[in-house]
Amino acid sequence: MATALRTSNEKKWHDQYPELGTGPIPIEPYVSRDYFEKERAQIFRKVWLNIGRVEQIPNPGDYFVKDLAVLQTSILIVRGKDGAIRAFHNMCAHRGNKLVADTGGTCKGLFTCKFHGWAYALDGSLSHIADEASFFNLNKADLGMTPIAVDTWEGFVFINADPHPVESLREYLGEIGTGFGGYPFGELGATLFFWQTEIKANWKVIKDAFQEVWHIPTLHHKTIPNVFSDTVNKYGHALNFTLYPRHGRISLGGNYDRKPTTVESFALRYGSGATVIKHASINPPKGINPTRDPRWATDGNAIFPNCLMYVSERSYLTHIFWPLAEDRTLWEARFYYPKAKTLAERFSQEYAKVILRDINMEDGSTLERTQTMLASGAKTEMVLQDQELLIRQHHKVAEEYISAGTMREGD
Amino acid sequence: MAERQLPAAFAGLESFIDWSLATERERTARRQTIGMAAIKAFYDAMVARLDEILKHLNDFPLDAAPDDVKRLFFMTLSLAEVAPAVENFGQPGVVDGYEYTRFVPVHD
Repeated sequence: MATALRTSNEKKWHDQYPELGTGPIPIEPYVSRDYFEKERAQIFRKVWLNIGRVEQIPNPGDYFVKDLAVLQTSILIVRGKDGAIRAFHNMCAHRGNKLVADTGGTCKGLFTCKFHGWAYALDGSLSHIADEASFFNLNKADLGMTPIAVDTWEGFVFINADPHPVESLREYLGEIGTGFGGYPFGELGATLFFWQTEIKANWKVIKDAFQEVWHIPTLHHKTIPNVFSDTVNKYGHALNFTLYPRHGRISLGGNYDRKPTTVESFALRYGSGATVIKHASINPPKGINPTRDPRWATDGNAIFPNCLMYVSERSYLTHIFWPLAEDRTLWEARFYYPKAKTLAERFSQEYAKVILRDINMEDGSTLERTQTMLASGAKTEMVLQDQELLIRQHHKVAEEYISAGTMREGD
Repeated sequence: MAERQLPAAFAGLESFIDWSLATERERTARRQTIGMAAIKAFYDAMVARLDEILKHLNDFPLDAAPDDVKRLFFMTLSLAEVAPAVENFGQPGVVDGYEYTRFVPVHD
């Protein structure tokens, strides 16, 4: 059976987005420290960034700490007594110590600095100054933790490091943010598999690899060569691309005639499935499976700048890329499944998790090799084909942010 | 004779009890270090009984299984771990892959 039928004779997706052009893309953004600093200043310090899920902090006093090298800060995210989620620079107002040194937990009373014992309430206000009488003219109200803008969307926690964000999270997400109402992100948050790795590649090298799938029949020929492709659609061309001003989506059909391996076939009997997600039986929200194609498998949503979210019928996964330098990235891969009802279902999830993880291993080594050659200077440009539309869009959006920031500086 | 570790119906798998490992880190380390012959022997023994094993495990909720059933369950997680080695790569690790110790699970 055919999956997604598009051939080179048909109209290209790029025809729908002529403003993106079709020319080569410069390699400089992947190797230049100067460009990396522009990304830091003009993109990462200005936009909303996905740093976690509400399930990490369900109750008042629950907190987690996110150290973000790209923002040159550590962020404390805490749920207050009033149930509201707040975010702060994780810093004591006395002499600047990092206030919370662990990565998360529950704060029963106050956040107490381990240096001199200053203590802060869950709402960030300064509550106690040790040896207060020896200080001079302090106004406690001015010495709370420095807040960072925070908001949630579909249970994802976003922060914005700009002291005065130019737009709300909802405005920033725009149309891509309105299409998921009713999708069970919360229920699927029950089982989380989460890996971190520091990879020697520019963050966009990794992002690029996860926002096109036509490399799968080649790079992943040992694991999932024909999961999105078949004899008709040899390269796994997408069912649909939709681009928004900053964000975008690739919608993919699945090859349901693919023969599973022995252990995979057992895993498929008990639910969560594995690499092929069986026919979409749900009536999904409008932002999912936009073409309503019965052969739909998954959608990849590219949330600018550094988050990819692949949404399937009963699971979703995110890849988040935190730049550390122009040639190093903290790559976070998270796979989300519902709580398994039985031990057999949990085995099914384990198979799906392991094969997906091993597929990521196939990517990882290639991405580091790519970075070494991009850095060689042998070429100054790379070329993109029609299925790499989201890569091209990223460069366009990034350029807009960087040139807008440069103009502001020149004012 | 050593005390029985697995449900009686699966006593024939007792010799593979070292594959009953509770965390991904332990399962991955065993897969990557024990050699293909041991992986294949474990895989073959488990696949031969997998239909019955999973039917049995499907009677137990996630959080309330007796210890012998849990040990058998952890063996199936090890089977999931080694399945790609046998079925996809023909070697313990991912062919031409990223160093497994660098892709660090934050979960158990």
